[in-house]
Amino acid sequence: MSRTRTALLALALTAASGVASAQPADVIHWWTSGGESKAVNVFATEFDARGGKWVDNAVVGGPAARAAALNRIAGGNPPAATMWNVGVAVRQLAEQGMLTELDDIAKAGKWVENLPPLIVKNISYNGHIIAVPVDLHGGNWMFYSKKIYDELKIQPAKNWDEFLIQAEKIKAAGYIPLSIGGQPFQEVWLWLPVLLGSAGKEDFKKIYADHDAKLAAGPGVKKAFEVMRKLAAYTDAGRPNRKWNDSLLLVQNNKAASQFLGDWGKGEFAAAGLKPQIDYGCAMAPGNDGAYMMNVDVFAFPKSKNPTTIAAQRKLAEVMMDPAVQVKFNAFKGALPARLDADTGALDACAQIGKAIIDGGPANQMPNTALAFSPDVDGQITDLITQYFNSTTMTAEAATAAFAKIIANADK
Amino acid sequence: MRSLAARLVLSPTALITLVCFYGCAVWTAYISLTRSSFFPNYEFSGIAQYTRLFSTERWNVAYANMFIFGVLLVAGALALGIILALMIDRNVRGEGFFRTIMLYPLAMSFIVTGLAWQWVLSPSIGVQHFVRDLGFPDFTFDWVARQDRAIYTLVFAGVWHQAGLIMAIMLAGLRGVDRDIWKATRIEGIPVWRVYLGIVLPMLRPLVVTCVVLLSVAVVKSYDLVVAMTGGGPGFASDLPGKFVVEFSFERANIGQASAAAVVMLGSIFAALAPYFYIEMRRKAT
Repeated sequence: MSRTRTALLALALTAASGVASAQPADVIHWWTSGGESKAVNVFATEFDARGGKWVDNAVVGGPAARAAALNRIAGGNPPAATMWNVGVAVRQLAEQGMLTELDDIAKAGKWVENLPPLIVKNISYNGHIIAVPVDLHGGNWMFYSKKIYDELKIQPAKNWDEFLIQAEKIKAAGYIPLSIGGQPFQEVWLWLPVLLGSAGKEDFKKIYADHDAKLAAGPGVKKAFEVMRKLAAYTDAGRPNRKWNDSLLLVQNNKAASQFLGDWGKGEFAAAGLKPQIDYGCAMAPGNDGAYMMNVDVFAFPKSKNPTTIAAQRKLAEVMMDPAVQVKFNAFKGALPARLDADTGALDACAQIGKAIIDGGPANQMPNTALAFSPDVDGQITDLITQYFNSTTMTAEAATAAFAKIIANADK
Repeated sequence: MRSLAARLVLSPTALITLVCFYGCAVWTAYISLTRSSFFPNYEFSGIAQYTRLFSTERWNVAYANMFIFGVLLVAGALALGIILALMIDRNVRGEGFFRTIMLYPLAMSFIVTGLAWQWVLSPSIGVQHFVRDLGFPDFTFDWVARQDRAIYTLVFAGVWHQAGLIMAIMLAGLRGVDRDIWKATRIEGIPVWRVYLGIVLPMLRPLVVTCVVLLSVAVVKSYDLVVAMTGGGPGFASDLPGKFVVEFSFERANIGQASAAAVVMLGSIFAALAPYFYIEMRRKAT
């Protein structure tokens, strides 16, 4: 008798707490810059409006935020949700059995039908959905100075050979043809569109998504390394260890003609009050037409035993996958909604170019390094690219061989 | 009874040292013998991590840099610090002023030091730009942008940062030297530089040992200086083992590889410093 009563009491209490107080969810993320924090606030507001209570846990810097999340998971006090860049790393967390499966919510919300297949693959583990993708950043953009391009009467180049010819002209006119900061990840941002443009999108996909070592040793890759070496000559001397937003300032101030980076660059222009395609130009990188290199942020939900937390996690997942919420979020974030069925009419001129490409189907949807490789292999490629780009002695042949070796040893 | 009280008081310290320092060192050494990636994995896998470590070019560069940076920083800061201390010891006017100025760099974190020196050395805004604007258009000083020179720019910044501390320590020592020694040498007519070199500095040997220890610690923990100043670049030419370990354990989710690097780091520092301490200890004994 008494046992039944206790059970009933517990049930009543649980129900009461579910109704009376809001469901709190502490969320770890590293969106701290102006546009980013406005974007994440969209989720917070919407979650609170639907009866949740967003507990913000912003950590400055991706590595620090990820370390904080990992430490809390390992220490048995996991956050309700933690942000991650989608890729093999998230699947490794799932492999350890640490993430909540969201299959029923995903089915109800028709996630699989409305996401790019490559993303579905990367948010799944053993057939279970284990993360919520919130945006589709494009990594292969070229941002350029309209003033310099108009002055020299040139259009964004269609391939890298044409870009190099234009670069010579830009240099002769006294401008910096290519702005880049000398940090390894920025050099990889340049490498990806150069490889895609040199090897073509089919081969790029085979090398990155399928880890085709034979193609990785082929002429397309070698050509990409040759282009990289030539591009290095068109950068400025202030490159060493310069941040990407400081480099973009050179394009904003019309001192440099172009920079290659993802659409997060738009946030910097917006902060300076500049408008896309009016004050500055955006185009797909040379040879990257019809290819959208996806760079995706996801939220994952570490397993919890607390029923209130579990309810909060499920609500949070629904909020984040709501197409309308995703559009509002990405208006600040500068990316496309991860859901392809979202109405993106309100997004800016650059986003429209990207949307047209992504809607062209899976053939246009390219993986970035994180989608293709484990953080360890990703790091090996980064080391090779930065070593080559800054070296004057390493040959394109040697770099190609080293690249092929990394791809061959990368796990399938 | 007294010894029991002393033991009781010291036991927490001993426990912390044992668990946190030795315990973690042993744990790291074990992890370096596994295939741990994201999370620790305790399955033994032999020396595979070490084989891979020493066939990784980036590690070999970082490892060699540790010796270049270490030797030059210790020697440079020691030499500059002692010279500054000797100059101040000659009762220059405005001693307090100079002492403060020279100690100032130490008040700054390595992050600020690194950033300031990055700007000073950056070819497009720093020294090179300045001298060119003065009317020497061919002047070139782009070490921070050159793969073969970048590591030496870290030495500049490190010496600049640490020399003041060495000066302060050595100056305190110089002031402690018995004035009678100076009187005696003056009567004997020995030149000042010979007194310093032959008598005073050898007397300060224990202080020099302290300085070497402090500088070695600075070398090992110089992670923030590299990150702020060169970011390990251009490429990975100015990488140091500390940065390598942090990057592999957190960003690259490869704890096994990071642990192997950490173990090699610990071993090398131990191997480099042990003979020095051994010699010093023996001198004390005799």
